[in-house]
Amino acid sequence: MPPEFVQALQDMSIATAIRESALVFPVILSLHLTGMGLFGGMILMTDLRLLGISLTKHPVSDIVNGLRPWKHLGLTLTATCGILLLWSKAAIYYPNPYLWIKLTLFALIIIHALVFRSVYRNVADLDRNPVIPGRAKLAAALSIILWISVVTAGRWIGYWEPKGAPVNAAQVIN
Amino acid sequence: MALFLAYDPSSNPLNTNEWAFPVCEVLHILGFAIGIGTITMVNIRLLGLGLKRESPADLWRGTFPWTLAGLALVLITGPLIFSSDPNMYLRNEGFRFKITMLVLALIYHYTIYRKVALTKTSGGAAVMAGLISLLLWISVVFGGIFIAFL
Repeated sequence: MPPEFVQALQDMSIATAIRESALVFPVILSLHLTGMGLFGGMILMTDLRLLGISLTKHPVSDIVNGLRPWKHLGLTLTATCGILLLWSKAAIYYPNPYLWIKLTLFALIIIHALVFRSVYRNVADLDRNPVIPGRAKLAAALSIILWISVVTAGRWIGYWEPKGAPVNAAQVIN
Repeated sequence: MALFLAYDPSSNPLNTNEWAFPVCEVLHILGFAIGIGTITMVNIRLLGLGLKRESPADLWRGTFPWTLAGLALVLITGPLIFSSDPNMYLRNEGFRFKITMLVLALIYHYTIYRKVALTKTSGGAAVMAGLISLLLWISVVFGGIFIAFL
């Protein structure tokens, strides 16, 4: 069972309003997916560029630096919507193991960002380098794996049901 | 439509295998992230908001195979998801809206939008082309999510 504070979080008036509105919850969920749609692909394109697979006619720095503010905007939009969705059903999501897998993956993404900060911040060096160094390629490959895992865990949250207790399917699937 | 009325999806692997449906959904999300994400890159340039070191035409050409790959993944997984319960989807207003916007978005993308991206570097036509594209693709995503809520 979720601890009392998680239930209290879910019972707050804003959370209840989001959860119970026929319109607000799906609109926030749509914006969550719109964030992924408009900007999530840019993460993959950046990483594929570092791997030398995509956009090879464009300098690495143009792609990495040019897309950075847009990826930040996308992450802010997607994360804000995600937090609102989580808040509105905090007690329902709390026992869901895929939520915790997803949050763990975010922790790994933060660690990745810290470990490989120099790769993404010093891309001008890569423009002068005819071969992209192994460390940058490793960073890109790990980034792709982590983000695809986040999407996968996120989708799986909707398919987990607590054992035993009868559940309202609509509450869980959405 | 009559074709689907007699179809019994209960033996469809998407309904019998626990993993098949969510795997299709994840691939669908990855597909539209790559497809719409690369289109958004061209849009950002057309709207004059960023990526100004590249021309819209260069961005169109650079992202072209990835946009196509992303849309292909969406157009493969979408019909698979649809096959899990065709009659429900056909009756669903969200689905109908989504497909309408998708057809418009695809036609627009490879005709008017393509022409603008390849010829205009800035100005009213470029901004208008970018805004229409954004609106169409966002509508597709919203329609898709609302399928589960209508």
